[in-house]
Amino acid sequence: MFALVDCNNFYVSCERVFNPKLEGKPVIVLSNNDGCAIARSEEAKALGIDMGMPTFMIEEIIREHNVAVFSSNYTLYGDMSDRVMKILAGFTPNIEFYSIDEAFLDFTELKYDDLHQLGVKIRRAVTQQTGIPVTVGIAPTKTLAKMANRYAKNKKKDLRVHCLKDQQDINEVLQFTKVGDIWGIGRQYEKFLLKNGYKSAADLVKANDEWIRKNMSVVGQRMVNELCGIPCIKWEDEPPAKKAICTSRSFGHLVTNKDHLKEAISNYANNVALKLRSQHSCAKQMHVFLQTNPFRTEDKQYFRSVDIELPVATNSSNEIIQYAMKGLDIIYSTGYKFLKAGVIVMEIIPEDQIQKGLFDTVDRERNKIVMNTMDKVNKVFGRDVVRFAVQGYEKKWKLKAAYISRRYTTNIYELLTIKI
Amino acid sequence: MLKVCFFAKNISNEEGLNRLKIYHIAKTTPAKVLIFHSIPAGFPSPAADYIEDRIDLNELLIKTPSATFFVKVEGDSMIDAFIPPKGLLVVDRFINAATGDIVVAVLNGEFTVKRLLKTQAGIFLSPANPKYKPIKVTEEMDFQVWGVVTKIISDPKDM
Repeated sequence: MFALVDCNNFYVSCERVFNPKLEGKPVIVLSNNDGCAIARSEEAKALGIDMGMPTFMIEEIIREHNVAVFSSNYTLYGDMSDRVMKILAGFTPNIEFYSIDEAFLDFTELKYDDLHQLGVKIRRAVTQQTGIPVTVGIAPTKTLAKMANRYAKNKKKDLRVHCLKDQQDINEVLQFTKVGDIWGIGRQYEKFLLKNGYKSAADLVKANDEWIRKNMSVVGQRMVNELCGIPCIKWEDEPPAKKAICTSRSFGHLVTNKDHLKEAISNYANNVALKLRSQHSCAKQMHVFLQTNPFRTEDKQYFRSVDIELPVATNSSNEIIQYAMKGLDIIYSTGYKFLKAGVIVMEIIPEDQIQKGLFDTVDRERNKIVMNTMDKVNKVFGRDVVRFAVQGYEKKWKLKAAYISRRYTTNIYELLTIKI
Repeated sequence: MLKVCFFAKNISNEEGLNRLKIYHIAKTTPAKVLIFHSIPAGFPSPAADYIEDRIDLNELLIKTPSATFFVKVEGDSMIDAFIPPKGLLVVDRFINAATGDIVVAVLNGEFTVKRLLKTQAGIFLSPANPKYKPIKVTEEMDFQVWGVVTKIISDPKDM
Protein backbone atom coordinates (compact mmCIF):
# COMPACT_ATOMS: atom_id res chain seq x y z
CA MET A 1 0.00 0.00 0.00
CA PHE A 2 1.09 3.54 -0.79
CA ALA A 3 0.30 6.85 0.82
CA LEU A 4 0.37 10.26 -0.76
CA VAL A 5 0.81 12.96 1.85
CA ASP A 6 0.52 16.54 0.75
CA CYS A 7 0.50 19.83 2.60
CA ASN A 8 -2.63 21.94 2.32
CA ASN A 9 -2.02 25.28 0.57
CA PHE A 10 1.58 24.81 1.66
CA TYR A 11 3.03 28.31 1.25
CA VAL A 12 0.01 29.88 2.94
CA SER A 13 0.21 27.34 5.76
CA CYS A 14 3.90 28.19 6.31
CA GLU A 15 3.02 31.87 6.68
CA ARG A 16 0.21 31.03 9.09
CA VAL A 17 2.45 29.04 11.43
CA PHE A 18 4.26 32.26 12.34
CA ASN A 19 1.27 34.52 11.98
CA PRO A 20 -1.71 32.80 13.61
CA LYS A 21 -3.85 35.89 13.18
CA LEU A 22 -4.24 34.84 9.55
CA GLU A 23 -6.13 31.70 10.51
CA GLY A 24 -9.56 31.81 8.90
CA LYS A 25 -8.67 34.87 6.80
CA PRO A 26 -8.00 35.08 3.06
CA VAL A 27 -4.25 34.80 2.39
CA ILE A 28 -2.32 34.56 -0.86
CA VAL A 29 1.35 34.10 -1.75
CA LEU A 30 2.72 35.67 -4.91
CA SER A 31 5.18 34.21 -7.40
CA ASN A 32 8.74 35.42 -7.84
CA ASN A 33 8.72 39.11 -8.66
CA ASP A 34 5.23 39.39 -7.15
CA GLY A 35 3.74 38.59 -10.54
CA CYS A 36 0.77 36.36 -9.78
CA ALA A 37 -0.93 34.33 -7.06
CA ILE A 38 0.64 30.90 -6.61
CA ALA A 39 -0.84 29.83 -3.28
CA ARG A 40 -4.24 30.65 -1.88
CA SER A 41 -5.97 29.90 1.38
CA GLU A 42 -9.44 28.34 1.15
CA GLU A 43 -10.92 31.74 2.00
CA ALA A 44 -8.99 33.35 -0.88
CA LYS A 45 -10.14 30.63 -3.27
CA ALA A 46 -13.73 31.33 -2.22
CA LEU A 47 -13.25 34.99 -3.20
CA GLY A 48 -12.57 33.83 -6.75
CA ILE A 49 -8.78 34.22 -6.75
CA ASP A 50 -7.57 31.55 -9.16
CA MET A 51 -4.19 29.87 -9.38
CA GLY A 52 -1.80 32.00 -11.44
CA MET A 53 -4.01 35.08 -11.58
CA PRO A 54 -1.84 38.14 -12.27
CA THR A 55 -1.52 40.43 -9.26
CA PHE A 56 -2.81 43.52 -11.09
CA MET A 57 -6.04 41.69 -11.88
CA ILE A 58 -6.84 40.89 -8.27
CA GLU A 59 -5.83 44.20 -6.70
CA GLU A 60 -9.43 45.15 -6.18
CA ILE A 61 -10.40 41.90 -4.48
CA ILE A 62 -7.33 42.24 -2.24
CA ARG A 63 -8.30 45.74 -1.16
CA GLU A 64 -11.99 45.07 -0.77
CA HIS A 65 -11.67 41.86 1.24
CA ASN A 66 -8.49 42.72 3.09
CA VAL A 67 -6.61 39.75 1.70
CA ALA A 68 -3.22 39.19 3.35
CA VAL A 69 -0.56 39.16 0.62
CA PHE A 70 2.94 37.65 0.84
CA SER A 71 5.86 37.53 -1.55
CA SER A 72 7.22 34.01 -1.81
CA ASN A 73 9.72 33.26 0.93
CA TYR A 74 11.40 30.13 -0.41
CA THR A 75 13.96 30.09 2.38
CA LEU A 76 11.16 29.58 4.89
CA TYR A 77 9.14 27.17 2.71
CA GLY A 78 12.24 25.10 1.99
CA ASP A 79 13.03 24.69 5.68
CA MET A 80 9.43 23.88 6.62
CA SER A 81 9.29 21.34 3.78
CA ASP A 82 12.46 19.71 5.08
CA ARG A 83 10.87 19.38 8.53
CA VAL A 84 7.69 17.84 7.12
CA MET A 85 9.65 15.37 4.98
CA LYS A 86 11.85 14.31 7.91
CA ILE A 87 8.77 13.54 9.98
CA LEU A 88 7.22 11.55 7.12
CA ALA A 89 10.48 9.64 6.66
CA GLY A 90 10.03 8.44 10.24
CA PHE A 91 7.05 6.31 9.16
CA THR A 92 8.73 4.27 6.43
CA PRO A 93 12.21 3.80 5.01
CA ASN A 94 10.76 3.96 1.48
CA ILE A 95 9.78 7.50 0.74
CA GLU A 96 9.72 9.46 -2.50
CA PHE A 97 9.92 13.23 -2.18
CA TYR A 98 7.65 14.17 -5.03
CA SER A 99 7.64 17.95 -4.69
CA ILE A 100 8.23 20.65 -2.10
CA ASP A 101 4.91 19.82 -0.45
CA GLU A 102 4.11 16.19 -1.25
CA ALA A 103 5.65 12.78 -0.76
CA PHE A 104 4.77 9.17 -1.54
CA LEU A 105 5.24 6.67 1.28
CA ASP A 106 5.56 2.97 0.52
CA PHE A 107 4.24 0.65 3.23
CA THR A 108 4.53 -2.57 1.23
CA GLU A 109 7.35 -3.96 3.35
CA LEU A 110 5.91 -2.85 6.64
CA LYS A 111 3.33 -4.58 8.77
CA TYR A 112 0.85 -1.91 9.69
CA ASP A 113 -2.49 -3.37 10.77
CA ASP A 114 -4.68 -0.35 10.48
CA LEU A 115 -3.59 1.90 7.66
CA HIS A 116 -6.41 4.35 8.18
CA GLN A 117 -5.29 4.82 11.76
CA LEU A 118 -1.72 5.23 10.49
CA GLY A 119 -2.91 8.00 8.16
CA VAL A 120 -4.51 9.78 11.09
CA LYS A 121 -1.27 9.40 13.04
CA ILE A 122 0.84 10.80 10.20
CA ARG A 123 -1.44 13.77 9.89
CA ARG A 124 -1.38 14.43 13.61
CA ALA A 125 2.42 14.13 13.82
CA VAL A 126 3.08 16.60 11.01
CA THR A 127 0.50 19.11 12.19
CA GLN A 128 1.61 19.00 15.79
CA GLN A 129 5.33 19.25 15.09
CA THR A 130 5.33 21.80 12.28
CA GLY A 131 1.93 23.46 12.37
CA ILE A 132 1.38 22.50 8.71
CA PRO A 133 -1.93 20.73 7.98
CA VAL A 134 -1.68 17.80 5.57
CA THR A 135 -3.99 15.46 3.69
CA VAL A 136 -3.30 11.72 3.45
CA GLY A 137 -4.53 9.32 0.76
CA ILE A 138 -3.73 5.62 1.10
CA ALA A 139 -4.28 3.02 -1.65
CA PRO A 140 -2.76 -0.01 -3.41
CA THR A 141 -1.11 2.13 -6.13
CA LYS A 142 0.37 5.60 -6.44
CA THR A 143 -2.31 6.77 -8.89
CA LEU A 144 -5.07 5.57 -6.55
CA ALA A 145 -3.28 7.14 -3.57
CA LYS A 146 -3.33 10.47 -5.41
CA MET A 147 -7.04 9.95 -6.01
CA ALA A 148 -7.77 8.97 -2.42
CA ASN A 149 -5.95 12.12 -1.34
CA ARG A 150 -8.11 14.27 -3.62
CA TYR A 151 -11.19 12.50 -2.34
CA ALA A 152 -10.19 13.24 1.26
CA LYS A 153 -9.78 16.93 0.39
CA ASN A 154 -13.23 17.12 -1.15
CA LYS A 155 -15.30 14.72 0.89
CA LYS A 156 -13.56 14.41 4.24
CA LYS A 157 -12.78 18.00 4.97
CA ASP A 158 -12.37 17.48 8.72
CA LEU A 159 -10.53 14.19 8.89
CA ARG A 160 -8.44 14.70 5.73
CA VAL A 161 -7.45 11.06 5.64
CA HIS A 162 -8.85 8.50 3.23
CA CYS A 163 -7.76 4.90 2.91
CA LEU A 164 -8.90 2.57 0.11
CA LYS A 165 -9.08 -0.67 2.09
CA ASP A 166 -11.08 -2.79 -0.32
CA GLN A 167 -12.53 -2.89 -3.82
CA GLN A 168 -15.68 -1.15 -2.63
CA ASP A 169 -13.66 1.87 -1.44
CA ILE A 170 -11.75 1.89 -4.72
CA ASN A 171 -14.94 1.81 -6.78
CA GLU A 172 -16.37 4.70 -4.85
CA VAL A 173 -13.33 6.87 -5.54
CA LEU A 174 -13.14 5.82 -9.19
CA GLN A 175 -16.78 6.82 -9.57
CA PHE A 176 -16.06 10.18 -7.90
CA THR A 177 -13.02 11.06 -10.02
CA LYS A 178 -13.53 12.67 -13.41
CA VAL A 179 -11.10 11.57 -16.13
CA GLY A 180 -9.53 15.03 -16.24
CA ASP A 181 -8.63 14.76 -12.56
CA ILE A 182 -6.71 11.50 -12.89
CA TRP A 183 -3.00 11.85 -12.20
CA GLY A 184 -1.23 11.95 -15.58
CA ILE A 185 -4.20 12.87 -17.76
CA GLY A 186 -3.59 16.17 -19.50
CA ARG A 187 -5.96 18.49 -21.35
CA GLN A 188 -5.65 16.67 -24.68
CA TYR A 189 -6.35 13.21 -23.29
CA GLU A 190 -9.20 14.59 -21.22
CA LYS A 191 -10.89 15.99 -24.34
CA PHE A 192 -10.24 12.80 -26.24
CA LEU A 193 -11.66 10.57 -23.49
CA LEU A 194 -14.73 12.71 -22.98
CA LYS A 195 -15.37 12.61 -26.71
CA ASN A 196 -15.27 8.84 -26.57
CA GLY A 197 -17.73 8.69 -23.70
CA TYR A 198 -15.38 8.17 -20.77
CA LYS A 199 -16.47 10.48 -18.00
CA SER A 200 -15.13 9.07 -14.76
CA ALA A 201 -12.16 6.95 -13.77
CA ALA A 202 -14.65 4.12 -13.27
CA ASP A 203 -15.56 4.30 -16.98
CA LEU A 204 -11.91 4.12 -17.91
CA VAL A 205 -11.32 0.96 -15.88
CA LYS A 206 -14.01 -0.79 -17.92
CA ALA A 207 -12.38 0.25 -21.20
CA ASN A 208 -11.04 -2.33 -23.59
CA ASP A 209 -7.28 -2.97 -23.09
CA GLU A 210 -6.65 -3.02 -26.81
CA TRP A 211 -8.38 0.32 -27.28
CA ILE A 212 -6.40 1.95 -24.49
CA ARG A 213 -3.07 0.71 -25.81
CA LYS A 214 -3.91 1.81 -29.33
CA ASN A 215 -5.08 5.29 -28.39
CA MET A 216 -3.12 6.11 -25.27
CA SER A 217 0.06 4.07 -25.73
CA VAL A 218 1.72 1.99 -23.06
CA VAL A 219 1.57 4.93 -20.67
CA GLY A 220 -2.23 4.82 -20.77
CA GLN A 221 -2.17 1.07 -20.24
CA ARG A 222 0.04 1.52 -17.20
CA MET A 223 -2.33 4.14 -15.83
CA VAL A 224 -5.37 1.89 -16.22
CA ASN A 225 -3.49 -0.92 -14.49
CA GLU A 226 -2.77 1.46 -11.63
CA LEU A 227 -6.48 2.27 -11.41
CA CYS A 228 -7.15 -1.46 -11.17
CA GLY A 229 -4.83 -1.69 -8.19
CA ILE A 230 -1.73 -3.07 -9.93
CA PRO A 231 1.32 -0.90 -9.09
CA CYS A 232 3.06 0.06 -12.36
CA ILE A 233 4.69 3.39 -11.73
CA LYS A 234 8.33 3.18 -10.89
CA TRP A 235 9.43 4.07 -7.42
CA GLU A 236 12.06 6.79 -7.32
CA ASP A 237 14.00 6.61 -4.10
CA GLU A 238 16.61 9.10 -5.05
CA PRO A 239 16.02 12.01 -7.32
CA PRO A 240 18.23 11.49 -10.37
CA ALA A 241 21.39 13.60 -10.31
CA LYS A 242 20.71 16.94 -11.91
CA LYS A 243 21.83 17.24 -15.53
CA ALA A 244 21.88 21.01 -15.39
CA ILE A 245 21.68 23.68 -12.73
CA CYS A 246 20.11 26.97 -13.59
CA THR A 247 19.66 30.31 -11.90
CA SER A 248 17.64 32.71 -13.96
CA ARG A 249 15.31 35.47 -12.88
CA SER A 250 13.30 38.32 -14.20
CA PHE A 251 14.52 41.65 -12.88
CA GLY A 252 12.34 43.82 -10.67
CA HIS A 253 12.60 46.58 -13.27
CA LEU A 254 13.76 46.59 -16.86
CA VAL A 255 17.54 46.98 -16.91
CA THR A 256 19.58 48.84 -19.53
CA ASN A 257 22.80 49.54 -17.65
CA LYS A 258 25.54 46.99 -18.28
CA ASP A 259 26.97 47.34 -14.78
CA HIS A 260 23.64 46.33 -13.31
CA LEU A 261 23.54 43.32 -15.62
CA LYS A 262 27.07 42.43 -14.52
CA GLU A 263 25.97 42.59 -10.92
CA ALA A 264 22.91 40.42 -11.54
CA ILE A 265 24.67 37.80 -13.66
CA SER A 266 27.62 37.53 -11.29
CA ASN A 267 25.16 36.87 -8.48
CA TYR A 268 23.40 34.19 -10.54
CA ALA A 269 26.78 32.66 -11.42
CA ASN A 270 27.80 32.63 -7.77
CA ASN A 271 24.50 31.01 -6.89
CA VAL A 272 25.05 28.26 -9.45
CA ALA A 273 28.60 27.67 -8.18
CA LEU A 274 27.26 27.41 -4.64
CA LYS A 275 24.69 24.81 -5.71
CA LEU A 276 27.45 22.84 -7.45
CA ARG A 277 29.63 22.90 -4.35
CA SER A 278 26.80 21.87 -2.08
CA GLN A 279 26.28 18.69 -4.11
CA HIS A 280 30.04 18.13 -4.54
CA SER A 281 30.07 18.36 -8.29
CA CYS A 282 31.68 20.43 -11.00
CA ALA A 283 30.46 21.64 -14.38
CA LYS A 284 32.22 21.54 -17.69
CA GLN A 285 29.90 23.72 -19.71
CA MET A 286 28.07 26.95 -19.18
CA HIS A 287 25.29 28.86 -20.85
CA VAL A 288 24.55 32.55 -20.29
CA PHE A 289 21.48 34.27 -21.68
CA LEU A 290 19.89 37.67 -21.77
CA GLN A 291 16.46 38.75 -22.99
CA THR A 292 14.03 41.64 -23.30
CA ASN A 293 10.34 41.49 -22.39
CA PRO A 294 8.49 39.80 -25.28
CA PHE A 295 5.15 41.18 -24.06
CA ARG A 296 6.27 44.78 -24.46
CA THR A 297 5.68 44.90 -28.17
CA GLU A 298 6.54 48.60 -28.25
CA ASP A 299 10.14 47.76 -27.25
CA LYS A 300 12.88 46.49 -29.52
CA GLN A 301 13.28 42.78 -28.89
CA TYR A 302 16.51 40.95 -28.20
CA PHE A 303 17.39 37.45 -27.12
CA ARG A 304 20.89 36.12 -27.14
CA SER A 305 22.75 33.36 -25.40
CA VAL A 306 26.21 31.92 -25.48
CA ASP A 307 27.67 28.52 -24.67
CA ILE A 308 31.01 28.47 -22.95
CA GLU A 309 33.18 25.41 -22.70
CA LEU A 310 35.17 25.49 -19.47
CA PRO A 311 38.77 24.26 -19.90
CA VAL A 312 38.56 22.22 -16.70
CA ALA A 313 35.34 21.34 -14.89
CA THR A 314 34.94 23.62 -11.91
CA ASN A 315 32.71 24.75 -9.07
CA SER A 316 34.74 27.78 -7.98
CA SER A 317 32.70 30.95 -7.84
CA ASN A 318 35.57 33.07 -9.12
CA GLU A 319 36.05 30.98 -12.24
CA ILE A 320 32.35 30.63 -12.97
CA ILE A 321 31.74 34.35 -12.43
CA GLN A 322 34.73 35.18 -14.61
CA TYR A 323 33.42 33.11 -17.51
CA ALA A 324 29.89 34.42 -17.04
CA MET A 325 31.25 37.95 -17.35
CA LYS A 326 33.05 36.99 -20.57
CA GLY A 327 29.77 35.55 -21.80
CA LEU A 328 27.95 38.77 -20.98
CA ASP A 329 30.54 40.75 -22.93
CA ILE A 330 29.78 38.62 -25.95
CA ILE A 331 25.98 38.78 -25.80
CA TYR A 332 25.44 42.30 -24.47
CA SER A 333 24.24 44.99 -26.78
CA THR A 334 23.28 48.58 -25.96
CA GLY A 335 19.90 50.14 -26.51
CA TYR A 336 17.67 47.38 -25.15
CA LYS A 337 15.56 47.13 -22.03
CA PHE A 338 16.39 43.76 -20.52
CA LEU A 339 13.91 41.79 -18.47
CA LYS A 340 15.67 38.58 -17.68
CA ALA A 341 19.07 36.92 -17.56
CA GLY A 342 20.31 33.56 -16.49
CA VAL A 343 23.26 31.27 -15.97
CA ILE A 344 23.00 27.53 -16.60
CA VAL A 345 25.76 24.98 -16.04
CA MET A 346 25.77 21.59 -17.74
CA GLU A 347 27.88 18.45 -18.08
CA ILE A 348 27.93 18.05 -14.35
CA ILE A 349 30.35 15.52 -12.92
CA PRO A 350 31.36 14.51 -9.40
CA GLU A 351 33.99 16.75 -7.84
CA ASP A 352 36.50 13.89 -7.54
CA GLN A 353 36.31 12.82 -11.18
CA ILE A 354 37.63 15.92 -12.84
CA GLN A 355 39.84 15.55 -15.86
CA LYS A 356 42.73 17.92 -15.19
CA GLY A 357 44.10 20.05 -18.01
CA LEU A 358 47.67 19.78 -19.24
CA PHE A 359 48.05 23.52 -19.71
CA ASP A 360 45.90 24.47 -16.76
CA THR A 361 47.27 27.56 -15.05
CA VAL A 362 44.58 27.89 -12.40
CA ASP A 363 45.73 27.12 -8.86
CA ARG A 364 42.83 24.75 -8.10
CA GLU A 365 44.00 23.73 -4.67
CA ARG A 366 44.12 27.32 -3.60
CA ASN A 367 40.73 28.07 -5.15
CA LYS A 368 39.27 25.18 -3.26
CA ILE A 369 40.56 26.49 0.05
CA VAL A 370 39.25 29.96 -0.72
CA MET A 371 35.79 28.62 -1.65
CA ASN A 372 35.70 26.39 1.40
CA THR A 373 36.56 29.27 3.67
CA MET A 374 34.06 31.55 1.97
CA ASP A 375 31.27 28.98 2.32
CA LYS A 376 32.07 28.45 5.98
CA VAL A 377 32.10 32.14 6.78
CA ASN A 378 28.86 32.68 4.89
CA LYS A 379 27.27 29.75 6.62
CA VAL A 380 27.89 31.34 9.99
CA PHE A 381 27.39 35.01 9.17
CA GLY A 382 24.81 34.80 6.44
CA ARG A 383 24.57 34.38 2.72
CA ASP A 384 26.84 36.58 0.63
CA VAL A 385 28.51 38.27 3.60
CA VAL A 386 31.77 37.44 1.87
CA ARG A 387 31.30 38.06 -1.82
CA PHE A 388 33.08 39.04 -4.99
CA ALA A 389 33.30 42.77 -5.67
CA VAL A 390 31.47 42.42 -8.97
CA GLN A 391 28.41 41.06 -7.14
CA GLY A 392 27.94 44.57 -5.76
CA TYR A 393 25.56 45.86 -3.14
CA GLU A 394 23.16 47.95 -5.13
CA LYS A 395 20.85 45.21 -6.35
CA LYS A 396 18.99 47.57 -8.67
CA TRP A 397 17.99 44.49 -10.65
CA LYS A 398 16.69 42.59 -7.66
CA LEU A 399 13.29 41.08 -8.13
CA LYS A 400 10.31 42.52 -6.41
CA ALA A 401 9.45 40.96 -3.10
CA ALA A 402 7.57 43.75 -1.47
CA TYR A 403 5.61 41.59 0.98
CA ILE A 404 8.16 39.02 2.06
CA SER A 405 7.93 37.61 5.57
CA ARG A 406 10.88 36.87 7.80
CA ARG A 407 13.17 33.88 7.56
CA TYR A 408 11.87 32.70 10.93
CA THR A 409 13.70 29.39 11.03
CA THR A 410 17.02 30.02 9.33
CA ASN A 411 18.18 33.50 10.29
CA ILE A 412 18.92 34.38 13.90
CA TYR A 413 18.14 38.06 13.22
CA GLU A 414 14.69 37.32 11.83
CA LEU A 415 13.27 35.06 14.52
CA LEU A 416 9.70 35.17 15.65
CA THR A 417 9.60 37.84 18.37
CA ILE A 418 6.95 37.70 21.07
CA LYS A 419 6.13 40.54 23.45
CA ILE A 420 5.46 39.02 26.82
CA MET B 1 33.42 24.38 12.34
CA LEU B 2 33.14 27.03 14.98
CA LYS B 3 34.97 26.72 18.21
CA VAL B 4 34.00 28.85 21.13
CA CYS B 5 35.76 28.89 24.42
CA PHE B 6 33.87 30.45 27.28
CA PHE B 7 35.79 31.84 30.21
CA ALA B 8 35.22 34.29 32.96
CA LYS B 9 37.49 37.32 32.95
CA ASN B 10 37.21 38.36 36.55
CA ILE B 11 38.38 35.22 38.23
CA SER B 12 42.16 35.23 38.28
CA ASN B 13 43.25 33.67 41.54
CA GLU B 14 44.21 30.07 41.83
CA GLU B 15 41.10 29.06 43.74
CA GLY B 16 38.90 30.73 41.21
CA LEU B 17 40.49 28.86 38.37
CA ASN B 18 40.00 25.62 40.17
CA ARG B 19 36.33 26.31 40.54
CA LEU B 20 35.97 27.40 36.99
CA LYS B 21 35.00 24.77 34.50
CA ILE B 22 36.01 25.43 30.95
CA TYR B 23 34.15 23.63 28.21
CA HIS B 24 35.09 23.67 24.60
CA ILE B 25 31.97 24.00 22.56
CA ALA B 26 31.92 22.65 19.05
CA LYS B 27 29.29 23.70 16.59
CA THR B 28 29.59 20.59 14.49
CA THR B 29 31.72 17.52 14.81
CA PRO B 30 35.21 18.91 15.28
CA ALA B 31 38.23 17.69 13.38
CA LYS B 32 40.31 16.98 16.45
CA VAL B 33 40.94 13.34 15.69
CA LEU B 34 42.37 14.15 12.31
CA ILE B 35 45.14 16.17 13.87
CA PHE B 36 46.50 13.21 15.75
CA HIS B 37 46.20 10.91 12.80
CA SER B 38 47.80 13.14 10.28
CA ILE B 39 51.13 13.77 11.99
CA PRO B 40 53.54 11.65 10.01
CA ALA B 41 56.55 12.00 12.31
CA GLY B 42 57.27 13.13 15.85
CA PHE B 43 55.85 11.79 19.05
CA PRO B 44 52.41 10.25 19.04
CA SER B 45 50.09 12.01 21.42
CA PRO B 46 49.44 10.09 24.60
CA ALA B 47 45.89 11.44 24.40
CA ALA B 48 45.18 9.91 21.01
CA ASP B 49 43.36 6.92 22.45
CA TYR B 50 41.29 9.00 24.83
CA ILE B 51 39.79 11.54 22.49
CA GLU B 52 36.08 12.07 22.89
CA ASP B 53 33.73 14.24 20.88
CA ARG B 54 33.47 17.77 22.13
CA ILE B 55 30.22 18.85 23.65
CA ASP B 56 27.69 19.71 21.02
CA LEU B 57 25.20 22.36 22.15
CA ASN B 58 22.77 21.38 19.43
CA GLU B 59 22.57 17.93 20.90
CA LEU B 60 22.10 19.36 24.36
CA LEU B 61 19.43 21.92 23.50
CA ILE B 62 17.47 20.24 20.73
CA LYS B 63 15.72 16.92 21.21
CA THR B 64 13.49 16.88 18.10
CA PRO B 65 15.07 19.03 15.38
CA SER B 66 12.11 18.92 13.00
CA ALA B 67 9.78 20.20 15.72
CA THR B 68 12.11 22.74 17.33
CA PHE B 69 11.89 26.48 16.74
CA PHE B 70 13.78 29.42 18.21
CA VAL B 71 11.77 32.34 19.47
CA LYS B 72 12.84 35.70 20.83
CA VAL B 73 10.93 37.31 23.67
CA GLU B 74 10.75 40.88 24.89
CA GLY B 75 9.18 41.89 28.18
CA ASP B 76 9.43 41.18 31.88
CA SER B 77 6.30 39.13 32.56
CA MET B 78 8.26 35.88 32.97
CA ILE B 79 11.24 37.25 34.82
CA ASP B 80 10.78 35.02 37.88
CA ALA B 81 10.85 31.98 35.61
CA PHE B 82 14.36 32.98 34.50
CA ILE B 83 13.22 34.45 31.20
CA PRO B 84 15.05 37.81 31.02
CA PRO B 85 13.53 40.88 29.34
CA LYS B 86 15.42 39.90 26.21
CA GLY B 87 15.66 36.17 25.91
CA LEU B 88 15.96 33.44 23.36
CA LEU B 89 13.75 30.41 23.84
CA VAL B 90 14.03 26.90 22.47
CA VAL B 91 10.49 25.77 21.69
CA ASP B 92 9.61 22.15 21.04
CA ARG B 93 6.29 21.40 19.37
CA PHE B 94 6.73 17.66 19.75
CA ILE B 95 5.96 17.72 23.46
CA ASN B 96 2.39 17.69 24.72
CA ALA B 97 2.05 20.57 27.14
CA ALA B 98 1.43 19.56 30.74
CA THR B 99 0.33 21.77 33.59
CA GLY B 100 3.27 23.77 34.92
CA ASP B 101 5.05 23.94 31.54
CA ILE B 102 6.08 27.27 30.14
CA VAL B 103 4.43 27.44 26.76
CA VAL B 104 4.22 29.56 23.66
CA ALA B 105 0.48 29.99 23.30
CA VAL B 106 -1.77 31.64 20.77
CA LEU B 107 -4.58 33.58 22.38
CA ASN B 108 -7.07 35.17 19.99
CA GLY B 109 -4.47 35.20 17.24
CA GLU B 110 -1.71 36.75 19.39
CA PHE B 111 1.40 34.96 20.60
CA THR B 112 2.30 34.96 24.27
CA VAL B 113 4.65 33.06 26.57
CA LYS B 114 3.26 32.04 29.94
CA ARG B 115 3.12 29.17 32.39
CA LEU B 116 0.27 26.82 31.57
CA LEU B 117 -1.83 25.83 34.56
CA LYS B 118 -4.58 23.28 34.19
CA THR B 119 -6.64 23.41 37.37
CA GLN B 120 -10.11 22.41 38.44
CA ALA B 121 -11.06 26.05 38.08
CA GLY B 122 -10.01 25.94 34.42
CA ILE B 123 -7.01 26.66 32.26
CA PHE B 124 -4.80 29.62 33.18
CA LEU B 125 -1.89 31.34 31.53
CA SER B 126 0.17 32.50 34.43
CA PRO B 127 2.91 35.13 34.30
CA ALA B 128 6.00 34.82 36.48
CA ASN B 129 6.04 38.36 37.79
CA PRO B 130 3.76 39.67 40.56
CA LYS B 131 3.21 42.80 38.47
CA TYR B 132 0.95 40.86 36.11
CA LYS B 133 -2.22 38.87 36.65
CA PRO B 134 -2.91 35.35 35.35
CA ILE B 135 -5.21 35.09 32.35
CA LYS B 136 -8.11 32.69 32.58
CA VAL B 137 -8.74 30.95 29.28
CA THR B 138 -12.48 31.07 28.67
CA GLU B 139 -14.49 29.19 26.11
CA GLU B 140 -15.04 32.24 23.93
CA MET B 141 -11.29 32.64 23.56
CA ASP B 142 -9.45 31.18 20.62
CA PHE B 143 -6.72 29.34 22.45
CA GLN B 144 -4.01 26.99 21.29
CA VAL B 145 -0.66 25.83 22.66
CA TRP B 146 1.91 26.48 19.91
CA GLY B 147 4.85 24.79 21.60
CA VAL B 148 6.56 24.04 24.89
CA VAL B 149 9.57 26.05 26.01
CA THR B 150 12.33 23.53 26.73
CA LYS B 151 15.37 25.79 27.16
CA ILE B 152 16.02 29.42 27.93
CA ILE B 153 19.13 31.01 26.44
CA SER B 154 20.17 34.34 27.84
CA ASP B 155 23.00 36.79 27.73
CA PRO B 156 24.03 37.78 31.29
CA LYS B 157 24.18 41.38 30.12
CA ASP B 158 20.45 41.33 29.44
CA MET B 159 19.54 40.09 32.90
